[in-house]
Amino acid sequence: MELIRITDLHAGIEGKEILKGINLTIGEGEVHAIMGPNGAGKSTLSAVLTGRPGYEVTGGTVEYKGRNLLEMTPEERSWAGIFMSFQYPIEIPGVSITAFMKAAVNAHRKAQGKSELSPAEYLKLLKTNMKLVQMKGEFAGRDVNVGFSGGEKKRGEIFQMAMLDPSLCILDETDSGLDVDALKIVSDGVNALRGPEKSALVITHYKRLLELIVPDKVHVLKDGRIVRSGGTELVEQIENEGYDSIHD
Amino acid sequence: MTRTYIAGIDEIPRHLNLWDNDELNINIVVRPGYTGDVNMEIDLLREGVKLDMAGIFLCSSAERINMNFTVRHLIGGCTSRQLFKGVVGGKSKVRFNGLVYVDKDAQGTKAYQECHTLLLDDSARMETSPQLEIYADDVECSHGATTGFLNQDEQFYMRSRGIPEKEAKYLQMISFLSPVMDRLNERQRKFILDNL
Repeated sequence: MELIRITDLHAGIEGKEILKGINLTIGEGEVHAIMGPNGAGKSTLSAVLTGRPGYEVTGGTVEYKGRNLLEMTPEERSWAGIFMSFQYPIEIPGVSITAFMKAAVNAHRKAQGKSELSPAEYLKLLKTNMKLVQMKGEFAGRDVNVGFSGGEKKRGEIFQMAMLDPSLCILDETDSGLDVDALKIVSDGVNALRGPEKSALVITHYKRLLELIVPDKVHVLKDGRIVRSGGTELVEQIENEGYDSIHD
Repeated sequence: MTRTYIAGIDEIPRHLNLWDNDELNINIVVRPGYTGDVNMEIDLLREGVKLDMAGIFLCSSAERINMNFTVRHLIGGCTSRQLFKGVVGGKSKVRFNGLVYVDKDAQGTKAYQECHTLLLDDSARMETSPQLEIYADDVECSHGATTGFLNQDEQFYMRSRGIPEKEAKYLQMISFLSPVMDRLNERQRKFILDNL
């Protein structure tokens, strides 16, 4: 089954076209990787898929679970199962992880017509998912991303992802700034969440993340277009010969 | 000692002399719906006293608030800290005048003043004028003021987690006000949360 179909997507920011006709279809349970040099449009693609304000879609369509994704607000996309792990997670002083995730989880439940979780149920969910990314108990009481190390921020993103149980995870350069140990925890977390109804779009510059989260398909993005699609052999080629070796 | 004044409910003393306490914490709350002046003048008169002052002002519709705070260091070795945070919406107009005066005899003074405002609407107005008047040479003083709108990146981050726009804005306000809220007791905090 097809989960998301992006057709001839054109988009940009401040009048400058960055995506120049993206075509990409991800099926249920598939993990796709997008690799590309700086400025290729990787972050613009994730911004457009999550509805980030300031980005303008100038052409094309995105169909997600049979709905027109581009007409949905960021929160509606989240309720429909889209989650992005931010490249630069935002700090929110004065708001604890517990309070933040409670608001998010209950908003999801409300959108699904379910009642709010009881404090005991919520606590259980919180603990299970903190364990997944090896976060200690005090983590829940800390302010969202405030004073977190680079690794903690990314683990925090995967924790949030697990809490919200999405259908499509977009990992936007989740490996940037991570040491080997943190990368292992993050990728183990992501792999534990893989399943027949879970899809992922892994955006990265580097091979090392794709050795840990092995994709079903790899796409190379250059200058706003997918110039080549294939399997993991493309990752090897980029590693050995660089992006210049890959053309239309 | 801590004193909390809610404008429109408590009578706010126009003038305070601080000479018998080592430390005084003053909290000032201006709630939505209050229009008027909030004036306070505090003289530090005993060596080594500490004044810690914090305020929250909230306006949502068409309030007019005029705040004038003066802290005078008239003797050496005292510390004063002031932190004001406000959320101003609708067609409200707020003016904040903060003066820190350091007398020539008040050597070793430490004085800090900050006023930060979040504007919720284009039609809301905020005028901030922090002033320092310093006549002593051995002092450590700073003042700062910012006025801005809700941070869009923060808001998008919350919405991307499924938190509806309205609730995201509420959380942003709590986040913004938290340094002052942390100073209040639970009843006062609830009062503010109910008024956001």
